[in-house]
Amino acid sequence: MFDVFIWLYSGIILTIIGTLGTCWGPGVKDPVVRILNTEVASIGVSLILLCYNHTLALLTMIATSVICTLILFRAISRLEEMGADV
Amino acid sequence: MVPVPPYVPLEIVNMYLPVVYTGLIIGFFSLIAIAMEKRQIHILILTDIVGFAMILVVASVGTDLAESFILPGLVVELAEILAISEILISREMRKIQSTNINKTLAPLPMKYDMEILTTAPNFLTLVLLAYGVFLTGFTGGAIAGGGILLYVLSRKARGLPIVEIEGISGLSGIGWCMWLIALCLFFLLPQYWLLSLFLAAAGLLLKVATKMGIIGIFMREEYGKK
Repeated sequence: MFDVFIWLYSGIILTIIGTLGTCWGPGVKDPVVRILNTEVASIGVSLILLCYNHTLALLTMIATSVICTLILFRAISRLEEMGADV
Repeated sequence: MVPVPPYVPLEIVNMYLPVVYTGLIIGFFSLIAIAMEKRQIHILILTDIVGFAMILVVASVGTDLAESFILPGLVVELAEILAISEILISREMRKIQSTNINKTLAPLPMKYDMEILTTAPNFLTLVLLAYGVFLTGFTGGAIAGGGILLYVLSRKARGLPIVEIEGISGLSGIGWCMWLIALCLFFLLPQYWLLSLFLAAAGLLLKVATKMGIIGIFMREEYGKK
C-alpha cells in the first residue's frame, strides 16, 4: 500500500543533491544558478515535512521560500545593475 | 537515550535517525561551502541552506511543539535575508560612490510585458487573501501577504502615496496590540480562551500580511520607475 519511507527517502535524496548542487554544482559562479539549485533542496525539505504531517510548517515553508527567492533575485539584479562584483 | 512513549507510531520513531543525519550532513556541507566562498551574495544564498538544516533537525522530533517551532524559524530567516540583502546593497552603493561620485545609482526601470501580469492577478489575489483569512495565524498571514505581494508587483502604476504606507504600518501596529491583549486575556480571564485565541490569530494575520505587503510596495517603488 502507501509506504511513507519511499517519500521520506526521496525527500532526503533531493535535499542532499540540492545542497551539493548549491555548494559545488556546475555553473554556481552565477548566483542565479545557485538560487535555482536551492529550490531543489527546498522541495526535498517539503517532502520530509509532508511525511511528518507537519501541514502548517509545510505551507509556511512554501510561502517563505518563494518570498526568499524574490528577495534574493532583487538583491542580485540591483547589485548587477550597479556594476558590483557578484 | 530518551524513552519513547508506546503510543507513538513505529514509522515516526524510525524516521528520526535518517532525518537528523540529513540535517547534520547538509549543515556540514553548506558551512564548508560558506567557509570557502568569498563573495557576500553567494554566502547569503548558502545561508538559506543552513536554514534548511535547522528545519530538518527540529522537524525530526515529529511532535506538535517541534512543528510550532519551525514557523518562527522560517519567518525569522526571511527577515534576516531581507535585512542582510539591504545591507549588502547599501554597502556596495557607498563603495561605488566613494570612487566615482558622478555615477547614478538610481534603479533602472524594468520592462516586462507579460499577459499573466495584466489579467490573472485580480482573481489570484482574491483567492489568496480569502484563503489566508480563513487559515489565520502565521501561515494565513504569509499566504495573504503573498497575495498582496503578487497584486502590488503586477500593477504597472507607480508607487503608493506616503499616507497609505503609513496606514499599512498602523494596521500592523493594531495587529500587534491585538496579540498583546490576547496574551493578557489568557492569564486574566482564562474562561475566554477561545476569544483570546482568535484575537491572537487575527493579530498575527494582520502583522505578517502587512509586512509582506510593505515588502511588495518597496519592490514596486524600485522596479515600476518610469
